[in-house]
Amino acid sequence: MATRTKPTRGQQLQEAINYPLDWVEERSGLVGGIKYFLFRKVPGDVNWFQTLGSATFTAFLVQALTGVILAMYYKPDPKDAYSSIQHITNDIFAGWLVRGMHRWGASVFIILMFMHMGRVFLFGAYKFPRELNWIIGVLLLAMGLGEGFTGYLLPWDQTSYWATVVGININGTAPFLGPFLAQFLQGGTYINADTLSRFYAIHMLMIPGAIAALIGLHMYLVIRLGVTSPPWSKEAAGTGPLEQPSQNGTARSGLTRPGTRKDGR
Amino acid sequence: MASERLTERRRVYQQYKADVKERGKPFFPYAMWHDTIMSLVVVVVIIGLAVVWKYTTPGNHHTTDPGWLGKLYDNPADPGTINFVPRPDWYYYFLFYLLRIFKWPESVLLGTIGIPTIALLLLIALPFIDLRSERRISRRPVAIIAGILVVISMGVLTFKGATAKEALGSELLGHVSAWAKKEGYTGNQAAVKGAKLFAVSGCLNCHVYNGDGGQNLGAPELTAEGAKNKGIAFQIAHLKCPSCKNPGSPMPSFAGLGDDRLKLLATFLESSKGSK
Repeated sequence: MATRTKPTRGQQLQEAINYPLDWVEERSGLVGGIKYFLFRKVPGDVNWFQTLGSATFTAFLVQALTGVILAMYYKPDPKDAYSSIQHITNDIFAGWLVRGMHRWGASVFIILMFMHMGRVFLFGAYKFPRELNWIIGVLLLAMGLGEGFTGYLLPWDQTSYWATVVGININGTAPFLGPFLAQFLQGGTYINADTLSRFYAIHMLMIPGAIAALIGLHMYLVIRLGVTSPPWSKEAAGTGPLEQPSQNGTARSGLTRPGTRKDGR
Repeated sequence: MASERLTERRRVYQQYKADVKERGKPFFPYAMWHDTIMSLVVVVVIIGLAVVWKYTTPGNHHTTDPGWLGKLYDNPADPGTINFVPRPDWYYYFLFYLLRIFKWPESVLLGTIGIPTIALLLLIALPFIDLRSERRISRRPVAIIAGILVVISMGVLTFKGATAKEALGSELLGHVSAWAKKEGYTGNQAAVKGAKLFAVSGCLNCHVYNGDGGQNLGAPELTAEGAKNKGIAFQIAHLKCPSCKNPGSPMPSFAGLGDDRLKLLATFLESSKGSK
C-alpha cells in the first residue's frame, strides 16, 4: 500500500495551472489547438518578408480598436457628423491620436495588403494547394479598398463629400449591376441624409465583419497548408521537381538536394 | 496530361510537408518573434503618422490648413457649393488618374469599370493561369516581368494622380474676358455671366476650356460645346441630371445651382462655338 506523500509546492502550482487548462481542453480542444498553432513546424528559412501577413493583421486590429473608440463619439448624421469629427480631433482626450491612427492606419493597412500580396506573388506561394487562399486574399484586398471608400465620406467635409459623389457615380456606370449598386450605396436615387448612415453601417459593420471572417479562414488555411519557404532556398522544403536527384546521375544530381534522402534516412 | 500535372503538384506538396516535418522549426518562438517585432514596427509607424499629421498642422493644430500629411479636415460638406475637387484618398489615385487617360464618351467606361474589373478578375484567376509548380524567381520570367510592369504602372499612375494640377476658381475668374474674346461672345451678357459661374463652380476641375482645366474623370473638352447645337433646354436638363442624358456619366448633378444660374451656364455653353 502506497503511502500518500504530500505534494510539493511545485506540484501544487502545476496542478493549479493545469486544472483550468484541462477543463477548457476537455470541453473545447482549444488548448491543443493553440499548442498546435504555436509549435507547428515552419520551414527553417522563413524570411522577414513573410511577416507582412501578420503585420497586415496587426494593422487591421489597430483599425478595429480605434474604430470602436471613434464609434463611441462619432455621429453619422449630416447635421452632426462634421462637428463630432472636430470634437474628436480637438476636445476629447487623445481623440486626435485615435482618429489619426485610424486615418493613417487605413493607409498602412492598404500598403501592407499590397506588399503582402506582392510577397506571395514573388514567392509563388499562390500555387497548389494554396489557390483558394490567394482568392480569399484578393477578396480581402477588395474589401479593404471598400473600407477606404466608405470611410472617406464619414468626416462629411467638402473633400470627402464630393469625392464620394463622383465615386458613387462611377459605381453607377457599371453595366447591369452598377445602377443598383449606386442606389444601394446612396440609399436612394441621389446622395442624401440616409447615405451617410448607410456608409457608416457598411463601413463599421458589414465589411469589417466580412473581413474578420475571411481573415479567420485565411489564417486557418495558412496553418492547415503550411508556410512556403523562400523560392531561392537551397535546402528548403518542397523545392521543385527539377531539384530531385536525377535517376541517371546527370550533372544536376546532388546539386541542391543531397541524394541520401532517397533511402529514407 | 492534366492529371499528370496534378500528380506532380501533389507530389511536390507531399514532399514539402515531409521536409518541413523533418527539418522545419517550430513557429514559436523564432518565427513568432519576427512577427511580433514587425507588428510593433507597424503600430509605431501608425502612431508616428498620427502625431506628424496633428502636430504639423499650422496654428494651434485645429485649423483646416494642411500640415505635412494634409488637412485634419476640410470645410464642412456643402451640397450647394459645387466648387470642389473630386479627389479620393491617395491609394485610389491610380484609378483616379486612369480616368484621365480615357476620354468621354468612347472609352471612359473602360477606365471606370473595364480595367479595374479586368484587373480584379485576373488577380482571382492568377493561380489558375500559372499552373506550374516552379517557384524559383529566375525560372518565372513572364510572371516576374508582369509583376514588375504592374508595380511600375501603378506607381506612375499614383504619382501622376498625386501631382495632377487642379483648377482653382478664383484664378480662373480672371480668364473669363479672354475666353469671351476668343469665343466671340463678349457682347452676350448672359453668356459672360455663365462663363463666370463656369469658372467658380468647379467645372474646370474635370473639363478643359480654352486651355484651362483639369482633364479629370474622362470629362470632354467644352471649348466648342456650343458648336454641337444641343440647345439650351438640353444643357439645363443635362446639368441637372448628367447620367439621365448620358448614361454612364460620372458627372455629379448641378441642380443645386438653381434654375436661373443653370440657364446662364447653358447659355454660356451654347455660345461657346470654339475659339477663333
